Amino acid sequence: MATVQLRNIEKQFAPDAIAVKDLDLDIADGEFLVLLGPSGCGKTTTLRMIAGLETQTQGDIHIGNRLVNGLPAGERDIAFVFQFYALYPHLSVKDNVSFPLRAQNISKSEVDSRVQDVAKRLRIEHLLKKKPNRLPGGEQQRVALARAMIRQPQVFLMDEPLTNLDAELRADMRAELKHLQHELGTTMVYVTHDQIEAMSMSHRIAVMNEGVLQQVDTPLNIYNKPQTLFVATFIGSPPMNIIECALVTEDSNSYLKSDNLNYKLPNTIDSTSQQVYFGIRAEDLSVASDSTADIKGDVILREPLGDETLYRIDIGSQILNIKTSPKVRLTIGDTIGLNINATNIHLFDKESERSLLH
Amino acid sequence: MATSSNRSNLKPRFSWFTDRRLANLFIFPTLIILFFVTLYPLIWSLIVSFADWSVIKNAGEAREYIGVENYSELLGSKKAWERFVVTGKIVGASVLIELVLGFGIAMLLNRKFRGRSVMMTLMLIPMMLSPVVVALFWRFMMQGNGVLNYYIHEVMGLEPVLWLASRAIIPWSVVLVDVWMWTPFMMLICLAGLSAIPQYLYEAADVDRASGWFRFRHITLPMVMPVVLIGVIFRIMDAYKMIDIIFVLVGDKGGAGRAAQTAALYVYDVAFKSFDTGLGSAYGYIMLIFIIALATLLIRAINSTKGE
Amino acid sequence: MNNNLSLLQRLGFWLVLSLVFIISMFPLFWILTSSFKTRADVISTTPTYIPFVQYQPTLDNYKSIFISPIGDAAQSTASQNISVFRNKLLNSVIITALSTLLAVLIGTLTAYAISRYNIIAKDDLMFFILSTRMLPPIVVLIPIFVLFSNLGLKNSYLGLSLLYISMNLPFVVWIMKGFFDEIPVEYEEAAMIDGYSRLQAIYKIVIPEALPAMAATAVFSMIISWNEFVFANFLNRDAASTVPPFLNSIIGVGAVEWSRLAAASVIFVLPIVIFTFLVRNHLLRGVTFGAVRR
Repeated sequence: MATVQLRNIEKQFAPDAIAVKDLDLDIADGEFLVLLGPSGCGKTTTLRMIAGLETQTQGDIHIGNRLVNGLPAGERDIAFVFQFYALYPHLSVKDNVSFPLRAQNISKSEVDSRVQDVAKRLRIEHLLKKKPNRLPGGEQQRVALARAMIRQPQVFLMDEPLTNLDAELRADMRAELKHLQHELGTTMVYVTHDQIEAMSMSHRIAVMNEGVLQQVDTPLNIYNKPQTLFVATFIGSPPMNIIECALVTEDSNSYLKSDNLNYKLPNTIDSTSQQVYFGIRAEDLSVASDSTADIKGDVILREPLGDETLYRIDIGSQILNIKTSPKVRLTIGDTIGLNINATNIHLFDKESERSLLH
Repeated sequence: MATSSNRSNLKPRFSWFTDRRLANLFIFPTLIILFFVTLYPLIWSLIVSFADWSVIKNAGEAREYIGVENYSELLGSKKAWERFVVTGKIVGASVLIELVLGFGIAMLLNRKFRGRSVMMTLMLIPMMLSPVVVALFWRFMMQGNGVLNYYIHEVMGLEPVLWLASRAIIPWSVVLVDVWMWTPFMMLICLAGLSAIPQYLYEAADVDRASGWFRFRHITLPMVMPVVLIGVIFRIMDAYKMIDIIFVLVGDKGGAGRAAQTAALYVYDVAFKSFDTGLGSAYGYIMLIFIIALATLLIRAINSTKGE
Repeated sequence: MNNNLSLLQRLGFWLVLSLVFIISMFPLFWILTSSFKTRADVISTTPTYIPFVQYQPTLDNYKSIFISPIGDAAQSTASQNISVFRNKLLNSVIITALSTLLAVLIGTLTAYAISRYNIIAKDDLMFFILSTRMLPPIVVLIPIFVLFSNLGLKNSYLGLSLLYISMNLPFVVWIMKGFFDEIPVEYEEAAMIDGYSRLQAIYKIVIPEALPAMAATAVFSMIISWNEFVFANFLNRDAASTVPPFLNSIIGVGAVEWSRLAAASVIFVLPIVIFTFLVRNHLLRGVTFGAVRR
């Protein structure tokens, strides 16, 4: 069990290819931290630097209290689960699982008992004699986890391990992984581009984009208090509605103004920003019952999802997503008014794209 | 703040085998051997090609350099050019016939039938054999009273063919042997190209009621072309440098009236029979430049078909 | 291809295919039957095909090539009763084995390094390696002849083996690099994370994974070495010479004993036929240096 510390990490593959920029990250002992971001954002590179599979161009990495710069992967006392599992096809499941132990001088009986333990925990005892590439994806995944767990490493590093499973199995494995991590109490760094995985499993999420760390926070804070425009739009489905407006102060009140919006903010914002992005999630827009609506628009598309219904509303300059209860029935072509839930609004400076509220 | 300067206190195991060192260790033996057997001889050859020198007659003597005289002598010599004509004729005819036959047989074999795998493997055997043995087989069959003439004369009632004796026929005998040996190669390549064509293209053509010719012309041919061109390049390079079949079939001078004396055999003749090492090297270099130019052109052709 | 053919089409298909097959197989058949014929049967002007009916098959040719020399008597003087052919065959086996083993070993490691490491000008390196194979052997034969004379490598197992290694290396490197490119890097990374060194990872993971490919590559190398004629003919005479130049040397002199020559050819060719069947699924990759894959 150990903490993981990244200080001023930078990774440059080529003069014009910077994968990770000035990254600082503290991962607590026993924490389940998810590195989340679109492909090419540097999350996998970051994970591989922690593992020692890549060497950072700059900065220090500590695992526990040990500075591990330049230390080969094998000496960092970590376990890594690859996206494609990397199970050796010529070895049986048992030999695959025990492979890490055979690198150390561990007695055969000890190896056997540990294999049994892990196999039991992951319910793969009946597979031990088989060859891995004959197994279905979910079982290969368990074997890969067993191989990672058997070493009882300080840190688990996982690179999109659930990507290759089908949807149902993925949901099961999410729950199981979370449970396992909780039980073992081992620090976990988990890379994914899937926000549901990130939200459902992690203690904290670190969102990255284009090599830059955007925000590190609990899943709910990431969702409710995004600090950058990127985090706001990347997390959530449908993505947050963003309206470009001017921030105007009149009579010590703050207003958001654009062609079809003139909205008085509940609190006065003291900011030098004049051009802002106003963000509002689909569920924070509700259909207005009277004429006091904040925005007006035409219903252009209806997507019933069962428990809720999504509508697309054309407000002239752009299209907004709204989420309603299935009881609300709107007809395509109707002109409706929308009310903004004032407690859940987001504002981002147009220049820096950083939040003005959180 | 900890700085990267204390990186050096950490000594990994097997520190001598850094990845860089290991990579070099793995690559250098190959490069050394290839240098020793290719690059060094080529440089040596280049130097000697500017000298009037024989490795046998002038052994131990200093080489007398005569500039580009060897080259100008060769470029002005009708005999030297004739060797290229003979080479072009044999290589061109062989590769063309192999391509047509190979493609045809591949079309034939590109379907499922019983015994396909065994039949195919048997048909691929010729190209795996030693050219010496192949030429030997055919020399046996091409004898004046050999089995080929038995069929031509006794069965079909035609005049016996002087496969190995007639100046006019010798080059074609060489082509025949080369075709027998290497058609399987073309067949294999074409078959690979054909079987890589996705079935749905033909299904789409069926839906569009395309004719058989249309399917061949607009689906089969363009899809197979890039792969087939790779095969053609391989064959041209190989046929160009081939000497063993001719050597065994009709002798080291290319048979009666040097009818099948190709450029490669000419180098052999000049360098090893006349012991004119300098001239032989120069001719070798002309061969080399010629084939490099040809290969470059062909590779460009491939790339242009790929770009479509 | 459409498999719903009419009866007539099917008949035509089998007719053409049989014709092609018979023509392409005839030389092999002919040499095989000739090797079982007596001297008189072989030179008979009317060909005979069916054993026991048209001719009486005999194993004499096979027995005799291992006991007494083929070809003219001059070659046999030095070799009291010990067959020249047997010696040549042994030379071929030794040189083939030596060159194959080393070429596959050296070439595999090179291919691994090129596949896995960031090598500057990687494509150029690969092209250089391939281009050495495209070189007409006759062009380098002269300098190699001189070089080997000076180094005492002529008429030696080592010299010819070295040449064959260099002929096989481009092939091994290209094919094996193709295979290594297909083996996920994660295998070694997983092993290295588990505390193995890179060398151990290669030995424990990569080599076992690559073994089938190495075996196929080795077979192709064997075939190349086994069949080679040009260098063998000019560099190794006498004691160290191999079978192909030997077979060629026989026909130059006097009346050829075709029946015994056929028997020698069959023995020489037999391993190749077996190998061809062994590697039939890799032939495509093999003969095109991995340029064409399925």
